Amino acid sequence: MRVMYTRDPMTQLSRREFTILAAAASAAPFALDRPVAAAATARELLDRITAQIGVPWKADTVDGLKAGEPATVVTGIVTTAMATMAVLQQAVQTGANVVISSQPTFYARADARTPPAPRGPGGGPPGGPPPTPPAAAAPDDPVFTAKNAFIDQHKLVIVRLSDHWRLREPDPLAVGLAQAMGWTMHQVSGDPRRYDVPAVTVDALVAAIAKKLRASGGIRVVGEAKTSVRRIGLLPGSTPIQASLKMLPEVDAIVAGEVREWESVEYARDQVAAGHKKALILVGRVLSEDPGMQLCADWLKTVIPGLPVRHIAVGDPYWRPAR
Amino acid sequence: MKAGEIIDRIKKNLGAPWRDATYRDTYKTGGPDTEVTGIATTCFVTLDVIRKASAAGLNMIIPHEDTFWSDRDDQAIVADDALYKAKIALLTKHNIVVFRIHDHMHVQRPDFTYVGSARAIGLDPKHENPPGSHRYVIPETTLGALAADVQRRCGARALRVVGDPKARVSRVRLGVGYASPPINPPDIDVLISGEQQESDGTFDSQPYALDAATLGLAKGIILLGHTISEEAGMLEMAQWIEGFVPEIPVQLVKAEEPLWGAAGQ
Repeated sequence: MRVMYTRDPMTQLSRREFTILAAAASAAPFALDRPVAAAATARELLDRITAQIGVPWKADTVDGLKAGEPATVVTGIVTTAMATMAVLQQAVQTGANVVISSQPTFYARADARTPPAPRGPGGGPPGGPPPTPPAAAAPDDPVFTAKNAFIDQHKLVIVRLSDHWRLREPDPLAVGLAQAMGWTMHQVSGDPRRYDVPAVTVDALVAAIAKKLRASGGIRVVGEAKTSVRRIGLLPGSTPIQASLKMLPEVDAIVAGEVREWESVEYARDQVAAGHKKALILVGRVLSEDPGMQLCADWLKTVIPGLPVRHIAVGDPYWRPAR
Repeated sequence: MKAGEIIDRIKKNLGAPWRDATYRDTYKTGGPDTEVTGIATTCFVTLDVIRKASAAGLNMIIPHEDTFWSDRDDQAIVADDALYKAKIALLTKHNIVVFRIHDHMHVQRPDFTYVGSARAIGLDPKHENPPGSHRYVIPETTLGALAADVQRRCGARALRVVGDPKARVSRVRLGVGYASPPINPPDIDVLISGEQQESDGTFDSQPYALDAATLGLAKGIILLGHTISEEAGMLEMAQWIEGFVPEIPVQLVKAEEPLWGAAGQ
């Protein structure tokens, strides 16, 4: 059972209070301050993450255990933007058996290990007639089957850490993206999402981002290639129009993960058409979140000292045919 | 002719009941009493589309998508935005009436978005089986060759592909806009659609296709972009409206693809 609590992470007093509360409330009490032995379990790792994440643990969250046994003894930890098959294979090769993923493992927010039931033939578009009920029970799905078999065979434990990781201050996804770009020194005071870089054209900026993030073709851009930009805003992950409405008027270019095209892409297009020297650079959700999950690996080393922790990047899921 | 007369004729000719509950298919600026000089269909009411329509003497714009950067065209969230104010001023200056047709376009048969998209990317109607299913069996090719052909035909600069370029594929499922069907059914090799959330949705096709490729399974996704996917069919929409509104000019005014793609490594 997960312990729910609120805590000021900055004070030892509240930590002691939490430890007492946790010990009283948990079916399996643990001591947060003892050094981690080689026999730390996934449950102990999860409890330490919950206790030290620095924000109140939500009752309604996508975060938590997605596959594997909590009693598994941790041999090594991998953080990643998404626990893809390729990332799981690399994790096993490096001797790790716990994977901490920002995005779902099983292809849906529900993150269930079984495939969804197929929709009937009339699956309607938004605003159209309601989709027809599932045509049949979910068939055997080779991708789910293979991923589950790999997880079971290697006794992997997969944990999603998204809601709480991105609530930390300063925003670790933005800080990580800025570090990956080499912009940390250009941070506008006190704002992890704002950087004033030496003036650069949009196409040169895009080329630099593609190189640093190892994009294979997924980057998309609104704006003139030769527009010179200096004030950069970061919106890693997936963001709604409200974020662009707030940020774009104050910067020259937004570097974002994923937005809805009918929202921020069209807003940026209209900004440019109105004569403003603006750009919106979309790198993709996963590509934008991996640097922040590198920071998560660094943080986990302090949460559970003595265990090997490393980050494995998903890489750019997309490519584009040569023109 | 007043805008309200044109909307009445659209409702009468639709071939399906009008659903008044729609929040999408409504007036966004102007109203039924606006005198219309000509009609422009488009995907998005961009600043450029407003200028081009106005220059062509057309003051009614019928877009498939939103005008004020949110699906509900929620003008409360943009009320303080300088660009919103400029856009309203431009619409007002040219006496533009905007009426969106989205939900009812997808209810109509055929749904012109699919017709236009298939035409734009070169999917042959004779390969659609059964007709109207948006499922095509094309001569076997590779995902790489198919994506290159689609890109060349529709001219998309920011098209994106997931999957192994060498995968042998022939069974294509066409989606439009954001209504992308899932990639996982066993009878689909390739999904071609407009826009699809990358992950954390009801079904995440890109991560699924990525893992399928790692496992050596032939699955691919070609994302055209929302405008490339749905704007082509606004030509059919213009031709359809012209059939029962012969008094004034009706034409497609393209918003065009908003994005360009950066070369990868």
